[in-house]
Amino acid sequence: MTSSVRLSGVAGSPGIAIGPVWRFDASATGGVAAGGPVAAASPEAAIRAAATETARQLEGLGDRLRGLGRDAEAAIFDAQGLMATDPMLLDDAIRRASESGDPVEAVRQAATTVADMLAALDDEILSARAADVRDVGARIGRVLRGEVLHLPVVPSVAVAEDLPPSVTAEIPPGFLLGIALSGGSRTAHAVILARSLGIPAIVGIDGLLDAVDGSTPSGGAPVAIAMDGESGEVVVRPSHRLEADFRRREADLAIRRADAARLRDRPPATADGERVMVVANIGTPADSGRALAAGAEGVGLFRTEFLFMSRQTPPTENEQVEAYRRVLEAFGPERPVVIRLADIGGDKAIPYLRLAAEQNPFLGVRAIRLAYANPDLLLTQLRAIWRAGAAAGVVPHVMAPMVATAADVELLLSLRDQARETLVGKGLPVAERMVTGIMVEVPSAAFLAPELARLIDFFSIGTNDLTQYVLAADRGNAALAGLQDALHPAVLRAIAGVVAGADAAGIPVAVCGELAGDPLGALVLVGLGVDELSADAGSLDGIRVALARATRPQLDELARRALAAPDAEAVRELAAAVLAGTPD
Amino acid sequence: MRTDEMEIRNPSGLHARPAALFVKTASGFASSIRLENVTTGSPAVDAKSILGVMSSGAARGHRIRVTTDGADEAAALDTIRDLVAAGIGEDVDG
Repeated sequence: MTSSVRLSGVAGSPGIAIGPVWRFDASATGGVAAGGPVAAASPEAAIRAAATETARQLEGLGDRLRGLGRDAEAAIFDAQGLMATDPMLLDDAIRRASESGDPVEAVRQAATTVADMLAALDDEILSARAADVRDVGARIGRVLRGEVLHLPVVPSVAVAEDLPPSVTAEIPPGFLLGIALSGGSRTAHAVILARSLGIPAIVGIDGLLDAVDGSTPSGGAPVAIAMDGESGEVVVRPSHRLEADFRRREADLAIRRADAARLRDRPPATADGERVMVVANIGTPADSGRALAAGAEGVGLFRTEFLFMSRQTPPTENEQVEAYRRVLEAFGPERPVVIRLADIGGDKAIPYLRLAAEQNPFLGVRAIRLAYANPDLLLTQLRAIWRAGAAAGVVPHVMAPMVATAADVELLLSLRDQARETLVGKGLPVAERMVTGIMVEVPSAAFLAPELARLIDFFSIGTNDLTQYVLAADRGNAALAGLQDALHPAVLRAIAGVVAGADAAGIPVAVCGELAGDPLGALVLVGLGVDELSADAGSLDGIRVALARATRPQLDELARRALAAPDAEAVRELAAAVLAGTPD
Repeated sequence: MRTDEMEIRNPSGLHARPAALFVKTASGFASSIRLENVTTGSPAVDAKSILGVMSSGAARGHRIRVTTDGADEAAALDTIRDLVAAGIGEDVDG
């Protein structure tokens, strides 16, 4: 009897699973049973026959999934079906096979070559498709060897290095309890599938395969495994005590999910009824639907960089009007949308702006600072927002990033008014007004909050950059991970100062950084007097559940103690105690 | 031989699903059809190969050049132009 092995990986899809392991191994024949190999006159004929058969199987899988209403997954198999008979893959495989005489290895090498090329593309979605090509290669190889997949016969947790989509699709519904991978990434197909099925997934689990394979007696019963897709914890061969712990988490999660569903349709508030606005961050107009479905009361941060990146010429005014109008219309007059002016600087390649390379782009000429020398970019954007507000019949909200001084605010306001005058001069319709705010992410703006608050309509604190600037710790530098914590009391004191300045002038304060989406962070922020929390759509349930568990007096006390705490870890413990209902 | 340039409007570019529809459409013509990503300057690929089309790395906002050559070259180019303008089966407004 081997003892429990505790491992951890990267959380991919939330949920708890406890059950027997189903081990899939794409490289060995472990996950497959032998049938009859393809008989053919030549390596070329064998490869062509196997490729055609593979394409037929993949198209069949696509049809089956479409029949189950899983259209998005079906599309993956349509694409894989085309890959199986793609000339780029087959010509290379046939050339390799005619030299080596080994069609299985030739197909594997050809698929690997194409996959490596896709993986090297500077495009996250396309490079993730590299796994699809490898999967197609492995599948043609299985057909060539005459092997068929050995699927789980009882509900199981899939354990593998990576789990290709064509394998997961063949597992009957209900037989997949969870997915635990030693490799993979959070954008892997298996993770996307797990989320759509509502089952847990964890990727990048070091030591997983050794722990499972090392403790599975050949021919014996499969080893048991327990996983928590939220924390990334995995236990191979859990003891009774650990299994009971995971069962308890499973019950807690069911309660939290029920709470979240119940709270989604109500105005978010603390347990004693104080309203807090809970809104979403979005990166493109296409994100609107997901944000609305998650119960967002509006958009606290509509990033507009997507309009400016990956192109050779700046977006036209009309193109921008369309993008903004779509979002403003989707949310309507009752759900305000805050459009953030382009946050562009020397760290991003924007060829048409001819930005000078800078030693420290995060301390350089970026965002609003660009507008002193070159106001056209922001003027065009502001004209587009004035027009989009008129077209959608709503009052648009805008905010400028990287504001450091009162001069920056005055520049913003003058550009806003100049943009309006130009349009009015041309007789074009403009929104009735534009609610105008600034991002507070530069420490000087936090210090100047009382003065800046008198000039504008709202503050929105960007906690990610504020943390980086307050603690002088580069966000991208892993060696400084300990300093990149927005719950550090130094950052919280800056936020408290911003809230005090805003209160004196009577304007609201939002937070749109990652801290707002963390349930513990949300409690601390509302304790500090923040009025609005803006986070990714997937985080809104967690924020509402956390708020509904705490009262105003508890949150006041939490804020008071957090500001005096020695470090971020101490703040996290204080907030966790409030969330758990056990503050001392 | 005919050629034209067009802009990719799909939110995620020519990834798996639109690439599949693009290739299926191109494969319906007898003409040879080539595709180049003008924005990145990547080499021309066979528009009837999904791996070729995906490897062109055409993202939203990129311009592609399509060249058709053969008996039905005019119809092929017109059909592809319409397909790209319509968002290659995706809701480009959504």
